[in-house]
Amino acid sequence: MPKITIDSTEIEVEKGTTVIQAAEQIGIDIPRYCYHPGLSIVGVCRICLVEIERMPKLQVACYTPVADGMVVHTNNEKVQQARRAVLEFLLINHPLDCPVCDQAGECWLQNFYMQHGLYDSKMVEDKVKKQKALPIGPNVMLDSERCILCTRCVRFCDEITETHELGIFNRGDHTELLPYPGQELDNKYSGNTIDICPVGALTDKDFRFRTRVWYLTETPSVCPGCSTGCNINVHHNDHRPYKAGGIRVSRLKPRYNPDVNQWWMCDEGRYGFTQVDADSRIVAPQKKTRGDWQLLSWQDAIDEIATKIKGILKKHGADAFGVILSPQMTNEGLFAAKRFFQETLEVENIDFEVVAREKGYADDFLMKADKNPNSEGAKKIGLSAVDNSGLEVAQMLADAKDNRLKALYICHHNLEKGFKKEEVKEALSKVDLVIFQGTNQNSTSNLANYCLPSASFVEKDGTFTNFAGRVQEIHKAVEPLGESKPDWTIFRNLSKRLGKSMPYFEAGDVFNALAEEVDAFKGLSYEKIGEHGVLLNGHRASTEKEMGALVA
Amino acid sequence: MNIHDKYKPLTFWEKLYLPAIISGLWLTSMHFFRNLTLHILRALRLRKTADGAVTIQYPEFLRPLFPRLRTMHRLTKRDDGTPRCVACMMCETVCPAKCIYIIADEKLENPEIEKMPESFDIDLGLCIFCGYCVEACPVDAIRMDTGILEISNLTRKGMVLDMETMLNLEPMQDRYVKYTKEGEIVSQEYLKQDLSK
Amino acid sequence: MVEGIGIVLLKLAFVLLFVLNFGGLLTWVERKQSALMQDRIGANRASIFGIRLIGLFHTIADAVKMFTKESFRPVAAEKFLFTIGPGISVFFALVGFAVIPFGDVLIIGGKEINLQLAPLNIGVLYLFAVAGMAVYGVVLGAWASKNNFALLGGLRASAQMISYEVALGVTIIGSLMIYQTVELQEIVRWQGGTLWGWLPKWGVLMQPVGFILFLTVGIAQSKRVPFDAPEGESEIIGYFLEYSGMGFGMYMLTDFVETVMISAITVTLFLGGWQVPYLMADGFHFPWGATWQLENWAVALLQVGSFTLKVMFFLWLQMTIRWTLPRFRYDQIMRLGWKYILPISLVNILITGLIITLLK
Ligand code: SF4
Ligand code: SF4
Ligand code: SF4
Ligand code: SF4
Repeated sequence: MPKITIDSTEIEVEKGTTVIQAAEQIGIDIPRYCYHPGLSIVGVCRICLVEIERMPKLQVACYTPVADGMVVHTNNEKVQQARRAVLEFLLINHPLDCPVCDQAGECWLQNFYMQHGLYDSKMVEDKVKKQKALPIGPNVMLDSERCILCTRCVRFCDEITETHELGIFNRGDHTELLPYPGQELDNKYSGNTIDICPVGALTDKDFRFRTRVWYLTETPSVCPGCSTGCNINVHHNDHRPYKAGGIRVSRLKPRYNPDVNQWWMCDEGRYGFTQVDADSRIVAPQKKTRGDWQLLSWQDAIDEIATKIKGILKKHGADAFGVILSPQMTNEGLFAAKRFFQETLEVENIDFEVVAREKGYADDFLMKADKNPNSEGAKKIGLSAVDNSGLEVAQMLADAKDNRLKALYICHHNLEKGFKKEEVKEALSKVDLVIFQGTNQNSTSNLANYCLPSASFVEKDGTFTNFAGRVQEIHKAVEPLGESKPDWTIFRNLSKRLGKSMPYFEAGDVFNALAEEVDAFKGLSYEKIGEHGVLLNGHRASTEKEMGALVA
Repeated sequence: MNIHDKYKPLTFWEKLYLPAIISGLWLTSMHFFRNLTLHILRALRLRKTADGAVTIQYPEFLRPLFPRLRTMHRLTKRDDGTPRCVACMMCETVCPAKCIYIIADEKLENPEIEKMPESFDIDLGLCIFCGYCVEACPVDAIRMDTGILEISNLTRKGMVLDMETMLNLEPMQDRYVKYTKEGEIVSQEYLKQDLSK
Repeated sequence: MVEGIGIVLLKLAFVLLFVLNFGGLLTWVERKQSALMQDRIGANRASIFGIRLIGLFHTIADAVKMFTKESFRPVAAEKFLFTIGPGISVFFALVGFAVIPFGDVLIIGGKEINLQLAPLNIGVLYLFAVAGMAVYGVVLGAWASKNNFALLGGLRASAQMISYEVALGVTIIGSLMIYQTVELQEIVRWQGGTLWGWLPKWGVLMQPVGFILFLTVGIAQSKRVPFDAPEGESEIIGYFLEYSGMGFGMYMLTDFVETVMISAITVTLFLGGWQVPYLMADGFHFPWGATWQLENWAVALLQVGSFTLKVMFFLWLQMTIRWTLPRFRYDQIMRLGWKYILPISLVNILITGLIITLLK
């Protein structure tokens, strides 16, 4: 393996490593625009120039493979001068847009200018004008003047999505990034171009002008949009609640996880957080009296529901009780539900799977047809009908229609997604007690007698298990809206009211109890999960070859 | 070090306190009698000016303001009357009192401007008149030169300035101290306010 | 009998008017005098029909405000004590004046009227007894407010007032040894004579140290700057924290009445009370032999006027002190009272006793 010296630190690296990667390994950050670890290397931006001894000219660190005995200087006078010059070239035609540019605050031009530039501009000529505020796709806005022609976005569309929408046109200082004529940047992963664009040339239509990036707080989490479980950062606005009509979550950004999503996420997940602050959120326990919803305190709601459940169990027995849990719930919510229904109420009719009538979009990259983040978890915890020798959801509805089911506890589901509207309506109208627990109202919640508000994925701690059996943590980014509570808290409180208390105070307690009880989770603990998640017992990590599909 | 070491010990005379007290009383009573005499003389019309006090009888008399004084905010306009502000939120960010509330709006019809405030409120009840907002503005859209110091309202809501109001405020002209070229103050008489207005 | 009661009522009315008017006027004096001392104008905006009368109407405005403002009582407060607290305070400040002589005897229609409300033969003791009660008004009000800050203020007040009460008694024992009486009218009469035929025998000349000590202690008793640690209105908040409206007004009034009270006592004990130098019951007898015969009413008028003037001088002096000196710290107050004033007055007694014995 070649041995090289970077800024008087010696390091031995794999053959074929580039200088920029080698420097990264010892914590030296070489500025870069066009280099992205997930894309091919082109070396067009020239900001990563370093001095390599015995080479006549400065070399681009991103493209130069290490050779034994190389001595690299990343920050001497010559290199600094080169960087300053490169920045000066890049900024020749760059507009003075920072005040109105959404990238300001996370812009690499700004950052590197402050770190390496700080020259006085010598430009007296007029700047070249290009297209501004040009919508090039459903999610992306282009400002050609701000583009520094790093071609990251072009390479993304060529190499990752292979949709080839973008290209570089014209010559000289009129060179411009544009979509090919007649084409739109409209693929399932177009949002990623915004992330990788080092400047404010590509901005997010959804996020545009809503707030400023420095107002945002970042909380690591996992996308609940499908069973891939892409790692994300939730960017939320904690201190300026008057912005953008009071929405708390401003945007989601992918978080690097080498084993799951690498640097990317799909647009469906990226823009799928709107329900968190939607008007349809259930913000307090409520019950339906004569067709009208009436707000209740948690105390009253738990009391009333507990009394009714007790009455029905006593009169009709556990067979008349159906529970439809949801793979939208965290492992913790599901486990607390399992304990509550199986141990406290001794109910057997528990299922979680409602097969959607419309098959969800799936591809061989990130998106999976199963649009639930925790189906694998629910299966492993043992909540499908088969595990409990109880009724399946379809059977429950059929039973309900025949008046055999007296109580139904539905979590999160919109049953209409799996069954016909009339069927659901008929079935639910025949059940004495329908309790809906979820984050948002839907057509199923409207048919219930009681609605309990549960906290959405940004409002609680917990874990999801993705399709490959990887347990990953979500974190509380904002306070639960209104009176809503995490699912496991609701089940814990109900259980206590019905005579069996669960000693859980935070999500970690539930997970650790789960890890003790359920085989697949044996040996795990909440503290051990870490930022990239851990695999369940009996699962293996994806091989390089399988992941190869991601790197393309 | 004992803190008392820093001080010179009092002499016996000082320790008596009485002499110091009496000299203090002497000073204040001299002011008292002098001012009393001056006031009486003026009341008897034997003197014209009121030297007995440094008080300015506000609001009948106004103090001249210095041009750099920070007074109520205003927003400057472009030639077409729209706000100069581009809603960059620098002022909002820098404001130590967190009393500026901006909501930005997209102006796609004019890509040269792109961004403009949809609403721009300053809560004067919280503002500490530090002037940082003026310093921070990259486009000279906000200034504190209206000369309006009398800011009061019966409700907290009323203390909030909205964009419309701030756009319509004018810079203050005639309550400034005037200078000569050499930097000397020309006129600094107290200006008599027209109370009929 | 009816006549007697009438005369007493008239005297009562005179004394009350005297005291309360001075008390009220002091609010104006306080504003205006402090303004003059600090080169300001002072409150001058209250007006009736555009007439401002150099701010005198502020006194009336104050009164109107005090009366019309809500008298708020905290929920937890001890209702009864909270209500009577300010009353007790004012009452004991006022009743002291009963024994202060403001003139000698006035003869109307052959009837001799003693110009003193209550000719008590224990006058000085009565005064101290009354002054001693004043602390109750403060402490009761403070405690009844059920507010810790008020209570702390009350504790500071009681500590200060009780400490200084001891000193108050001791500082004038020297004088009493000279006067050989505790009846105030007698004390004033004693000061009528002259020393060496030309120097009025006023207490301040006989007992200069006692005079200064007494004045200091007196100011401390009225709880005003520099001895306002119990109130410290702008910084440490005092015993009447929970009072508003008239309750607060009465505590304020107490302070002012006590100021008048201290002036009156000082005048009586040390400045010859109503005495005018060389004025005898039948007119002036100047040291160089000349005389000027005066009617009894004229003499009485001169005496009352002299008393009033002297009281006014001390009011001015107290105001000047109040607007000149900064507040003493609590420990300084205690040290001053116990470690300086008390020992010095004890020494004063000893020396006075020695001199008296030697002179016999
Ligand atoms: S891309 Fe960066 S440097 Fe350019 S206008 Fe935007 S924030 Fe400023
Ligand atoms: S739009 Fe952004 S990512 Fe694309 S070439 Fe320009 S600067 Fe690079
Ligand atoms: S003057 Fe200071 S406190 Fe007031 S709005 Fe401007 S920045 Fe904020
Ligand atoms: S006033 Fe100036 S600093 Fe404030 S948002 Fe507008 S342009 Fe930015």
